[in-house]
Order: sequence, then structure tokens, then C-alpha cells
Amino acid sequence: MVRLRPEETGLKELLDRILDKGVAVDAIARTDLGSLDLLRTKAHIILASFKTADKIGLDFPEGTDLNTPAWQNLMRKQSCPVCGMESRQEELKEEGCPWCGWNYRPKER
Amino acid sequence: MELQTKGKVKTMENTPLMPEKDSSGLADAIDRILDKGLVINADITIDVAGVELLGIKIRAALASFETAAKYGLEFPSGTNIETAAWKDAMIEKEECPQCSKRVDREELLNTACPWCGWESAKAKKRKAMKVGAKIEVQ
Repeated sequence: MVRLRPEETGLKELLDRILDKGVAVDAIARTDLGSLDLLRTKAHIILASFKTADKIGLDFPEGTDLNTPAWQNLMRKQSCPVCGMESRQEELKEEGCPWCGWNYRPKER
Repeated sequence: MELQTKGKVKTMENTPLMPEKDSSGLADAIDRILDKGLVINADITIDVAGVELLGIKIRAALASFETAAKYGLEFPSGTNIETAAWKDAMIEKEECPQCSKRVDREELLNTACPWCGWESAKAKKRKAMKVGAKIEVQ
């Protein structure tokens, strides 16, 4: 029986989701006086984890070195559907999860 | 036996040595954010009577020292990044599923957790292959 990440509920799961999906806030606030456009505030705000930010191409602060090995690893990793631990995508597909041993085609081995 | 979930591994063997990991709670949430890193980008403009008065552009990244070092964020001038702790931060680490200690990822995956002895499926497979080879030789 395969249960999907049983213990991840509550705050942790919520946070993971928010960070992974990212949050975008787009707001315009206008204050008119008569026909005069008195005050107009525009806000475009986005909040995301590093991985998501990199995926959707957000700007990082100036001076960030985008060539460290961690950046290259980021895109190649995939989390196991059973234990939730991350490993290289090819390894997960070809040899199964190195953490819990999950394999989507166990019959061949 | 092989197909264990993270939660089940904890109760599998040597039960008395088991520190219970609380997976929800504020401390864990903060750990998570700092570990994954958070990017906050914002463009805010304020117009008064059709004239752009104030424009704010924020590019912020929030992360733990380790994560910041790994992703090459710039540190304030004067920070000495040649210390041993910074070099240690560049080694990829992973939390042991059993004892929750952060250890060298390669070691955890290929041999065992140096703290509690937990073995990954990959390490077990390797061990089994080695034993098999020995038996063949004999």
C-alpha cells in the first residue's frame, strides 16, 4: 500500500505549497475627489521560493551569483511521490528512489 | 520492507533511540522558509493627481546563511567568506529521515547516517550487491 507523504499536514504543508506555487499580488488603489484623480497606488508584488523564482524568471538582487552548482542542481531534482525526498530526476526514473526504494516499474528489476 | 514511507521508517528499527520529529509548528516552518529561500519582489508606484510621485522597487531574497551561500547571494562588504563554516555550507546537506540531523547528502545516501545509522534504499542495495559479490567469490 502506497500512502502519499502521510505525515505532511498542517503548517509545513501549507508553507511548502505557498512557497512552491508562489504568491502574486497585483493591486491598484485609487482615490478620486470629484473628477480629479487624486491618489493612485499601484503594487505588483510577488513572493516565491528560490526554486519557483528561478523557474518563472524572477529577478534576484544585484550581485547574486547565478552560476553556483546549487542553481544547476535545482532544476534537475524531483521529489519522490512516496517519501517526498528529492533526488536527481533521471535516477528517480531509472533506478527508483534512492531514499525509500520506490520504483514505478519494480517488475523489471 | 523496501517501500517504506518517511513516517514508517522511524518506527522500523532501534525504536528506543528515536527522537520524535515534530513536523508542524513554527520552528519547523521557519526552518523550511530559511532552507528553501524566499524571494520578495515588488514594484509599487504612487501617483498624485496624475503625477508619479513615488516609485519603489524591491528585489529581496530571504534565506539562511547556508542557503544564501549556496545560491551565491551577495553578502555585506567585509564578510569573510573564506572561513571553514562557509566552505562547509557549500557541501550539499540533507536532513536524515530518521533522526532529522542535517548531514552530508552523499554520505547519507551512499553509506548511512553518521548519527543514527539510518540507511537509504540505495545504500542497502549497494550493501546487498557487495555481499552477493563476496559469496560468488567464495
